Amino acid sequence: MWFYEKKLQYPAKVGRANLRMAKYLITQYGGPDGELAASLRYLTQRYTMPTGQAKAILTDIGTEELAHLEIIATLVYKLMDRSTVGEIEAAGLGAYYADHDKALYYVNGESVPWTAAYIQSKGDPVADLHEDMAAEEKARATYEWLINLSDDPDLNDTLKFLRQREIVHFQRFGETLQLVQEHLDSKRVY
Amino acid sequence: MMYEMNSGLQLARAYIPSQVFTQRFGAMEGLSKGTIFPELYMPYRPRRY
Amino acid sequence: MNREQVAALKELMAQEFTALEFHLYLDTHPTDQRALMEYNEACRQLMVLKQRYQQCFGPLTFCESSGYPWQWIEEPWPWQISY
Repeated sequence: MWFYEKKLQYPAKVGRANLRMAKYLITQYGGPDGELAASLRYLTQRYTMPTGQAKAILTDIGTEELAHLEIIATLVYKLMDRSTVGEIEAAGLGAYYADHDKALYYVNGESVPWTAAYIQSKGDPVADLHEDMAAEEKARATYEWLINLSDDPDLNDTLKFLRQREIVHFQRFGETLQLVQEHLDSKRVY
Repeated sequence: MMYEMNSGLQLARAYIPSQVFTQRFGAMEGLSKGTIFPELYMPYRPRRY
Repeated sequence: MNREQVAALKELMAQEFTALEFHLYLDTHPTDQRALMEYNEACRQLMVLKQRYQQCFGPLTFCESSGYPWQWIEEPWPWQISY
């Protein structure tokens, strides 16, 4: 089970409202390499992991990704804050506005809704951990492209934090892959 | 089974070295960097096209 | 939210982040005794900070005691704060 803690993991701020960046950033909310996909992927793969160690890392990183989802939501919310309908339309978000006003919805930058087809849960721990490592790398790359698109130092500060977390998670999944492979080897004595 | 030319590593298998904890950043510095482990801190250097 | 509360909140975030980093590290290094000591100490310090913060500014999570009236519903919520 889970309890909510009424605080962010990181003090997420933006220098100014910026609808252009809100439109790009929302892909980390509901896009293919975003935080929702990451969290739900890890939290559903954990049930069939072979060791307590692997169950632990998927539970803990899957939970941390929910904290990242909240950070992305906070950033998008702040980037859209106080914008007018005219500004929203000019930024190419008129169709989004028609469906959601300024509410947060799980879509990528082109308003494609989130789908479970973004993730896999294969039942083979080696295959699943490889997917998880790839997911961390894809999210890291996405944060780099978002940093390249942004000229807001405050926004980039939080994006750099999230990017660095992908690197730490990659390392932990990599270590878990080694431990799981050794565990599977030890059971393969004929 | 083992690929002995390659220091006992097997083919068709990924290897990630295990981190060895030695030093750490202070709490505030760690938060602002996104990790408390200096050896895992790999900041992005943006490319200009 | 005043500057004093934001500073206390950031201190709390930093301490909790330290604990989280050691938590994840220990998941893949369960026999690293130095990391385990760091983790236990980080958690001890975090508990002190959380208690102090909640006494001043209200509950952060489930089953923390509340003043009257029920403080959980007080704004700002985390996404409304200017850090």
